[in-house]
Amino acid sequence: MVSEANTQSGGCPVAGHGKLGGASLTDPAILAHPNAFFHSMRQEDPVHYDEKLGMWLVSRYDDIVTVLRDPIIYSDKHGYAAQYASGFFEEFKKILETEGGGFFPDVIKDDPPAHTRVRRLLDKAFTAHRVATLEPGITRVIVELIEKLADQAAGDKVVDGVNDFAVPLTIAVICEQLGIAQFNAKKIQEWSGAVTAQIGRMQDRDQMVANARLICELQNFIIGEMKSRQESPREDMISDLVHAKLEDGSTLSFAEAVSLVRAMVIAGNDTTATAIGNLLYVLATRPEVAQLLKDSADDERMLNRFVEELLRIEPPVRGLAKMTTTETVLGGQKLPAHAHLLVLYASGNDDETQFNCPRNFDPNRGNIAKHVAFGTGVHRCVGASLARMEIKVAARELIKRIDKLKLAIPVEQIKYLPTVATHSLESLPLTLSRRR
Amino acid sequence: MSGLKVTFVQDDGVEKVIEDATPGQSLMEIGRFHGVAGIVGDCGGGCACATCHVYVDEKWQAVIGKPDDIEAATLDMVSEICRDNSRLCCQIQMRKELDGLRLVVAPNL
Repeated sequence: MVSEANTQSGGCPVAGHGKLGGASLTDPAILAHPNAFFHSMRQEDPVHYDEKLGMWLVSRYDDIVTVLRDPIIYSDKHGYAAQYASGFFEEFKKILETEGGGFFPDVIKDDPPAHTRVRRLLDKAFTAHRVATLEPGITRVIVELIEKLADQAAGDKVVDGVNDFAVPLTIAVICEQLGIAQFNAKKIQEWSGAVTAQIGRMQDRDQMVANARLICELQNFIIGEMKSRQESPREDMISDLVHAKLEDGSTLSFAEAVSLVRAMVIAGNDTTATAIGNLLYVLATRPEVAQLLKDSADDERMLNRFVEELLRIEPPVRGLAKMTTTETVLGGQKLPAHAHLLVLYASGNDDETQFNCPRNFDPNRGNIAKHVAFGTGVHRCVGASLARMEIKVAARELIKRIDKLKLAIPVEQIKYLPTVATHSLESLPLTLSRRR
Repeated sequence: MSGLKVTFVQDDGVEKVIEDATPGQSLMEIGRFHGVAGIVGDCGGGCACATCHVYVDEKWQAVIGKPDDIEAATLDMVSEICRDNSRLCCQIQMRKELDGLRLVVAPNL
């Protein structure tokens, strides 16, 4: 049994201790508050077979990095394929082929060397220097949303930090980048949920069918946007992808381009929205962290560090899949070929052998970049600089403009999305007021 | 011979001497292509990951120059191993004036 408790160990606050026993990551209580489970795994059985999930959970930092640094033995492509629409894949694929223009495999989840060809193209779009030029525009979008949120919250009205703020924020930013001028944020949110549910492992058949239909809508929307740019390119990322010339002189196939635009729409908003939801949660529940942010609001260096520590302590992506291509040994555990692994980034970020007192929010860590919230290796998050920028501006503008940020419900009632892939708040009821 | 010379001193002490570096390539690309241990370049040269961190030999510091604000911010994330002569070598393009350059690869964080 694993329990959450705020006990002390060597002077550090910890998430709790317990025995692993038959505990499973699929347990909703563990999905909501996983740190004690992660801790038990790291101590007792670091590469642990979760029978209910049918996957090996990789919990220690060093083993996580070993996996991520060896994309040949630990295949992203095969791990992803086995995770995708798990249990219903053929039916899922058929729906997309019939109603959604086709089934387009995610080229970003390929293995090297095929992956390298496409990755080089995307690297250029998201350099830290290019993203820095976007800061004024992103700031305008965020300030507008904060002002709207403050208006909505006037007179102690409850607002939703996730659905009224974090989600529309990241959707507005990525749509501007992609060049999608007219969009229905609610719809894009539904599409995002439908896509990410395919790697979440918690959908039943009815949900799969509903999600597949939503992904069909998404693909038909994307294909329309792409077609309108085939003849007349514009100054936006969809045009860039439709007309891209790769380093080897090739172009993207139509299927590759659809999968990339789809990946940009979804990955470009979903995990960053989760991070901004987590930011609000932390600010509402940890006054010392809110104070720290207030003191750092005009200090660019400390703001950057604040964002990095937030990503370490509350990483949006909790676990992504890999598959062994050969028999191997990981962290002392013998693994057969085709072993399906869930790499627990969130547990790596919480590993006390790497991060002193990992449950402490400490932006002054000397090794702050060591966290694996963005992964590491060839599949490291390509949009990291954009995500950091959005979170930084949101943090800075929120703390400057908003006061008395509080949860509107008891913390125990907060719900998380049912998925092993991310740690995402379903909603975050808040009260707040304008800072005077 | 038109190639330029650059030496990477790996953390294990092994010196990798590259004699066919092409102007215009970044030093990260050059190091990664030649399998220099510790030059990883996960972000592909986007100045976002600090996995191409090097220390610049004193006599080369003036010609190489200092990191800009964005690079300095990324270097700050690895402050434990950051020094005054730290650079992310994805941000340095090989050029004629750097022929003979010597860089020490920073250790793993």
